[in-house]
Amino acid sequence: MFDALINGLLLVLQWKAFSLMMVGMGLGFVVGLLPGIGGAATLALMLPFIFKMSPAEAFAFLLGMHSVAATTGDITSILFGVPGEAISAATVVDGYPMAKNGEAGRALGAALMSSLMGALIGALVLALAIPIVRPLVLSFGSPELLMLALMGIACITSLSGLGARGQIRGFAMGFLGLLLSTIGQERQSGALRFDMGLMYLWDGLDLVPVLVGIFAIPEIIDLAVRGTAIAGERQPENLQAGVVEGIKDTFRHFWLVVRCSAVGVFIGILPGAGGGVAQWVAYAHAVQSAKDAKDRERFGKGDIRGVLGPGAANNSKEGGELIPTVAFGVPGGGAMGILLGGFLIMGLTPGPDMLTKHLALTFSMVWTLAIANIITVLLCLALLGHLAKLTYIRGGLIIPFVLFLVFVGSYTANGQIADLIVTFIFGSLGYLMVLFGWPRPPFVLGFVLGKLVETYLFISVSRYGFSWLSHPVVLVLIFLTGLVIAYPFIQERRSRKREGVGAT
Amino acid sequence: MQLKLRSLFSLSLMVVAAYAAITAWRWSFKTSLFPLATGIPLFVLAAAQLILELFGRDETTSGPAVELELSTHVDPALARTRVAGILTWIAGFILLVFLVGFPIAVPVFIFSFLMLQSRVGWGLSLSLTAVAWLCFYGLFQWLLNLPFEEGFIQSLLGI
Repeated sequence: MFDALINGLLLVLQWKAFSLMMVGMGLGFVVGLLPGIGGAATLALMLPFIFKMSPAEAFAFLLGMHSVAATTGDITSILFGVPGEAISAATVVDGYPMAKNGEAGRALGAALMSSLMGALIGALVLALAIPIVRPLVLSFGSPELLMLALMGIACITSLSGLGARGQIRGFAMGFLGLLLSTIGQERQSGALRFDMGLMYLWDGLDLVPVLVGIFAIPEIIDLAVRGTAIAGERQPENLQAGVVEGIKDTFRHFWLVVRCSAVGVFIGILPGAGGGVAQWVAYAHAVQSAKDAKDRERFGKGDIRGVLGPGAANNSKEGGELIPTVAFGVPGGGAMGILLGGFLIMGLTPGPDMLTKHLALTFSMVWTLAIANIITVLLCLALLGHLAKLTYIRGGLIIPFVLFLVFVGSYTANGQIADLIVTFIFGSLGYLMVLFGWPRPPFVLGFVLGKLVETYLFISVSRYGFSWLSHPVVLVLIFLTGLVIAYPFIQERRSRKREGVGAT
Repeated sequence: MQLKLRSLFSLSLMVVAAYAAITAWRWSFKTSLFPLATGIPLFVLAAAQLILELFGRDETTSGPAVELELSTHVDPALARTRVAGILTWIAGFILLVFLVGFPIAVPVFIFSFLMLQSRVGWGLSLSLTAVAWLCFYGLFQWLLNLPFEEGFIQSLLGI
């Protein structure tokens, strides 16, 4: 085993594999910065180039690119409030307000350092978990996965609004996201739903235009309304100090970063859940970790913990996603599905062979994840000074560029003008939601998980009737979901009691 | 009782949910299960919110906990004008892409926005437009080789 670990490292450090990893990282860096163009799409674009590579070179190239895209995706989320990747949306919620408060350097420092820690934890877990994870994954059937998805939605929903009315709005938005995910062909029967006679809607609404629109357009509108730079009229921060502070924050909240990394790994392991879910659940966990209701109110206004949690989970889930992909040939997410194509091109079969005959190659993937992230974070830290200065450029100069990137990014979803219209519609909806106090995160999570939840529900009901509700793991998850929903109320009541005791 | 703009949003959600539920009712069990399971609770929650907005006491806890906050220091009338302005620019950009395609729309949009909206001088506007075009051509077309459809006008004229 130890030999394989060292051999894996040597495979990555061969000059050709290392050079290809650097090329992949360069591509991933740019793609991560561009809104809407996901790491998965780039993986697909680059797949034809691996035919002449050896397996170690191919995976260094592909994984180097994919893991870096997740890290740099956080940069645009923080600087412009535009998710660089669909999986970087949760970083917007607290990262962008920090940039508006003149703390872009600190937010970037924290995001990058937590990403690095997340990636290293993910890689470590991948290395350790391969032999022991099989029973865990196999014990989760559709009912358990359904409950887990619902718990994820409940997590973010219950934290999205203050008071009872806030909860009503949060849950309504979650249901709206789930409902809109039903547009298009129903997977089991092929029947069309809410297609309005438009062929564009047969495949349902694409995630990229919806997500980019709902997050980016309201920020752009607000920037235009303010008529200032993103960081307002503030004096430029001491960037170096800000970045160092961000790095220190990562260690100040070390256990939060570790816990959120664990969340990322766990969700990554579960087939189909994907990075967007990992980020939101980690964000919800960061909010849940607040001491009391007052502490919780700081989230959404530029709390560093809201950057650290999603940053860590976003990168740790890469290691997690690789576990079922390598060990069982069951891709943990969309990008891993494409990577599976890479396995087939290389003539490899995921499964027991990868843990015996090709163990060194499997460990080379672990090393690629770790090395690529270390190099990227060091490179980003060196460039942060220039990147954070962008928030002090007058809004009027930034807006057309951001709009251009947003719409080109959205267009790449299907290559149709309708993608731009969908972006515009959801952008306007997002603005109205922010204006009237309806939270966007539950909507996004509902929309992201909708198709998955429906499939799991259908399989659960078809296979078990309603007896799946009595499965032991399902019962535990139902209890935890109830607890998650009740937690803010319990916390509020406790803090009121404490205040009452303090007053007397 | 006063029907505020805020209440119209809740009302719109109710209408959407009701439309979804009524439409789904006619479908087979398999097809309608999920739309009904999500549409009906959405209708109930939106209705509860609307009732609370119209007849309930004012909200004591203001604003959402986990959301962005819009700027409030700008005069509301000016803010409304600016919102309408930027939405018009965005709609104009989409229309331009439809008419002439991305390769022409991108430089035209960026140049006009910088000149007319941001009131930047000719020199800077032209330089920034050139940077945007280079980024578009070099990155999206040359490096990533993304396909961009021609515009309506080009296809009409057969160019």
